[in-house]
Amino acid sequence: MIHLENVSKVYPNGTQAVKDLSLDIADGEFVFIVGPSGAGKSTLLKLLIREEQADSGTVLVNGHNLVTMPRRRVPYLRRTMGIVFQDFRLIDKMTVYDNVAFAMRVIGYSEKTIQRRVPMALRMVGLADKGKRKPHELSGGEQQRVSLARAIINKPSLLIADEPTGNIDPERSLEVMKMLCGICQKGTTVIVVTHEHELVKQFGGRVIGIEGGQITSDTTEPLRYPITKKAASFTEPKEGLV
Amino acid sequence: MKLSGIPYLLKEGFRNIWANRMMSLASVVVLLSCLLITGTAALVSVNVQALIAGIGDDNEITVYLRPDCNDTDSLALGAKLSAIPNIETCRFRSRKEVLASYQKTLGDNIYAAMEGEGNPFGNEYKIRLQDLSQYETTVTQIKTLEGVDKVSDRSDIAEKLTRLDQFVTTAGLWVVLILGVVTLFIIANTIKMTMYARRFEISIMKSVGATNAFVRIPFMVEAMVIGLLAGLLSSVVLIILYEPIRQAASNVIGMIRTATLPLYEVWLPVLLSLSGIGLLIGLLGGAVSVTRYLNKEGGAILGT
Ligand SMILES: Nc1ncnc2c1ncn2[C@@H]1O[C@H](COP(=O)(O)OP(=O)(O)O)[C@@H](O)[C@H]1O
Ligand SMILES: [Mg+2]
Repeated sequence: MIHLENVSKVYPNGTQAVKDLSLDIADGEFVFIVGPSGAGKSTLLKLLIREEQADSGTVLVNGHNLVTMPRRRVPYLRRTMGIVFQDFRLIDKMTVYDNVAFAMRVIGYSEKTIQRRVPMALRMVGLADKGKRKPHELSGGEQQRVSLARAIINKPSLLIADEPTGNIDPERSLEVMKMLCGICQKGTTVIVVTHEHELVKQFGGRVIGIEGGQITSDTTEPLRYPITKKAASFTEPKEGLV
Repeated sequence: MKLSGIPYLLKEGFRNIWANRMMSLASVVVLLSCLLITGTAALVSVNVQALIAGIGDDNEITVYLRPDCNDTDSLALGAKLSAIPNIETCRFRSRKEVLASYQKTLGDNIYAAMEGEGNPFGNEYKIRLQDLSQYETTVTQIKTLEGVDKVSDRSDIAEKLTRLDQFVTTAGLWVVLILGVVTLFIIANTIKMTMYARRFEISIMKSVGATNAFVRIPFMVEAMVIGLLAGLLSSVVLIILYEPIRQAASNVIGMIRTATLPLYEVWLPVLLSLSGIGLLIGLLGGAVSVTRYLNKEGGAILGT
């Protein structure tokens, strides 16, 4: 659950990126955040992952109060969330498998657990047969799916994606978006920042508009299109992953 | 912190060194030179000190008393000499003994004439100083005592060696200090470059909730290996060169052979201290740059 109340953020150079913003997102919701460039969308996400700290207001995420949280606890907050980047952030010299495994290795999972879970995540994003490839051998859409697998490998309860389709072509964008939807359907809260209004229109769902660091619109209509069979079928065979 | 990820992070540390080999090599070379100079200065210093100690054995200073200073006064003077802190030993030599030591040179006739009232010598004290470098001060102190005629010069070699030791120690200290700072800077920079090259990985690590302690490990391993490598290499170089240099020096001055320390006495301290210093400098340089990086750029995850 996410609860923001009268949150403001001013950068050291004086830019007010978020202004007195209040917002509630329930567990399991799928939320689009839209708005023009410079509206404060990324800053809002940074506040949620405690990359930035709010100057005033309340920020509650997954039961943690991020305003009072000491710095040393931040890693443990991050372990409850998954992050998808616009530029994929895959490590080129590692294989697809190792890129996904990396997220488990650096927080100390055993190789046994890693070997069990990574193939499952790769299956979920439809890349079961590409584990041995290097990222540069994959298309943009496939690369983003690898980073999606990495984001969900530690079973987050919140998935955050900042312009996840910004670097891939529209057809593939829809595919990635459907995958995010599938992840949401298994109970993970998903927040997607995008300025691609077309994509949002095709999808529907809750859309929060931001401009000048403030919420300008918030619709909570149901999904206009039911999730396609393909998107819904990205389910792992045996054990639940997310 | 779960420990099962640590072997993986250690491996990463070694991979960093290879991936960044030019900078790593530069760091090792600079640290190596720094440690070579440190080690050489230290070895010269301990050997010169051993030499001085060796010379000191036959390096007694003579305090000549005035001939009119009678035995009772002389003994009182001896007590005052012994009270001076820098005087280690103090041995009385009567005017009779002094004259006797010249018996052969003078010939029996002259010797007989000089014996008793005709003895031109005064009583003497043979003293040995604790710290030869304090020679001037101590002699001035001795000369103020009533009954002292003059004080013999100390051996020239000992004085020169003392100066050499002081020079080596001071110069060595400065060179080491300056090179130490340079090395620290270079290692810190190497690690910073590695971290910059791996900023993606660091941002991913932080985004999935790796603790700073964990993120740090590969980079600290890299810095430590650089330091240790330089330490080991410099000790090996010094240990290999030690005996040949000692041999060459004793060809010039014979007594160096016997008075200096043999290799088996110095190799272990050299190895341990140089490796230790290398490791320490590596750790310090690594810690400085890792901490600075993680507190600044390394905190960014999403970017703009
Ligand atoms: N680190 C920063 N320092 C100063 N200003 C920033 C920083 N990051 C973002 N901004 C400014 O804050 C505003 C909001 O930025 P951002 O949240 O990145 O917007 P969006 O993601 O909606 O494009 C912009 O005016 C941007 O220039
Ligand atoms: Mg942005």
